[in-house]
Amino acid sequence: MAMTPGYEPYLLPCGRELEQVWQNLEAGRTDEHEASCRHCATARESLGALHAATAELLTDQERPSGALTDRIMSAVRAEVRRGDLLPLPPTELGPVEISEQAVAVVLRYAADEVTGVRARRCRVRVADESREGVVLVTAELTIAVAHATGVETAAEIVRERVRAACANRIGFELARLDVHIADVYDV
Amino acid sequence: MVADELDDATLVARARDGDVRAYEELVRRHQDRMFRLALRMLGNRGDAEDVVQEVFLTVWRRLAQLQQDAAFLGWLYRTTTNRCLNVLRSRKPSADVDWEEIAAPGNQAGPERSAQVSEQLAVLNRALRELTPEQRACWLLREVHGRSYEEIGAAVGASPTAVRGRIARARAQLAEVMRPWR
Repeated sequence: MAMTPGYEPYLLPCGRELEQVWQNLEAGRTDEHEASCRHCATARESLGALHAATAELLTDQERPSGALTDRIMSAVRAEVRRGDLLPLPPTELGPVEISEQAVAVVLRYAADEVTGVRARRCRVRVADESREGVVLVTAELTIAVAHATGVETAAEIVRERVRAACANRIGFELARLDVHIADVYDV
Repeated sequence: MVADELDDATLVARARDGDVRAYEELVRRHQDRMFRLALRMLGNRGDAEDVVQEVFLTVWRRLAQLQQDAAFLGWLYRTTTNRCLNVLRSRKPSADVDWEEIAAPGNQAGPERSAQVSEQLAVLNRALRELTPEQRACWLLREVHGRSYEEIGAAVGASPTAVRGRIARARAQLAEVMRPWR
């Protein structure tokens, strides 16, 4: 018996493998044997019917109920990791802390506003060095840049915007901002 | 930039940082196809929705383990397939009752639309139930979802060659039911 490596072939009574008939059907070709063999002709018909039914299945528009996304997201939100808490500049009323995630959102948003830039990952940490009355942080930002946008220019503008957003919208000073270009995409 | 304009890899990277809105966009983008796979695997809307919900929660919990952001969709398919196979294994052998008559394209649009669903498709749907769960998974992932043999192999825990074999057997079985040739 002819063996195809890995599995036992399904043979038609004429000795031909069903898989070969299928491949011919998919390629839209036929050969001499198939053209004159009634077993192959019948198999071809069945496979053709399967092909047609599969095509219908491909247009499947079944959708889950509208509430599914909300159900998933409320389960997800219940487990949100907020990351480390960073201290905001002290107030008269006492210390205030902000989560790393919240700072990252602000920084990513600032980078996103640069044309041709998509912010990806963003990590924020309190810097090792310190200065009286100022919170110094370091950030690591991964971005993707549009093909048409120059990588260096993009990184420069991102640096500027992120630094400004960090100072104006949160009150942290960026001691260091590492920008990684992870990807270049076509618009 | 609004979330729905972003590519998957960007959204995945953000979600790994804990960005819930980025993850929500990923859920909206992919839940329908995971649902369709689960529905054809399990034959029951309620079970399929439960699977999809568990899959997206599991994936959220394990996002940190994903090595490449671009591998997200393959990972979803793998997790969904596994979950479906587990559900099927835990079903009692006699649980035919779990199968709903899912007509398919557009059965929710009312009886008139259902009547138009071709007889062939109905036959195919019934024939799919007769396959083993692993065969059904391989066939659906390949023929309906267009995944690669390597990816399907990773999803069902078999070599790409074994996957080809299962699909060939599934195809033989389905074609035979479509119209007997002997």
